[in-house]
Amino acid sequence: MENTIKVERAILSLTQGDLAKKIGVSRQTINSIEANRYVPSTVLALKLSKVFNKPVNDFFKLSADD
Amino acid sequence: MQKEQRALQKLINFRLPRQFMNIGLVLALSLIVLMFFRATLLGEASLLMRDTLQRALLVGMLIMSITRDREEDEMTIQFRMQSYGWAFVMGVIYALIMPFVEFGVSIVVNGDGEAFKSLGDFQMLLFMLMVQLMCYHVLKRYR
Repeated sequence: MENTIKVERAILSLTQGDLAKKIGVSRQTINSIEANRYVPSTVLALKLSKVFNKPVNDFFKLSADD
Repeated sequence: MQKEQRALQKLINFRLPRQFMNIGLVLALSLIVLMFFRATLLGEASLLMRDTLQRALLVGMLIMSITRDREEDEMTIQFRMQSYGWAFVMGVIYALIMPFVEFGVSIVVNGDGEAFKSLGDFQMLLFMLMVQLMCYHVLKRYR
């Protein structure tokens, strides 16, 4: 799974800490998601979708090995 | 059915409040010190005290194990589940291998060797709790 959360976050001028606070997780979790070390749950993905005001498919993409 | 599922989920998600981490840590450390003093000062004369201290140490470590993290979220919950899984697997391997290791060591040290014996519940549970706590903190460190 690949994502463009870092880009979406930059568009909204949010720090990892700001985004973490908005969706109720730790800053390290956001960091791990951005680095593709952790795949979030559907609930978390939908919370991100709400913050970015975009469908989940716009910032999460399946990679070749998925 | 839904009510039962919710109750089960609530039970699975049960965690002690954060403050219990310090209580568990202080309890475990002070019990290790007490166990050391008991072993050196009283020797084998106080078996009841030894058993009581061992059980109290397990309680202290269990408290640490089920205490909520400072920043509990779905990733830390996943880490906790992974660490319990690892603790279980390592515990089984430990239980299978350790009696042979102890037997081998006793042959080397004593010559004739002690009678072959299985692991005690304290040794097993202590090992599993140690593996769980270590795995959880390693996973968190390298997240």
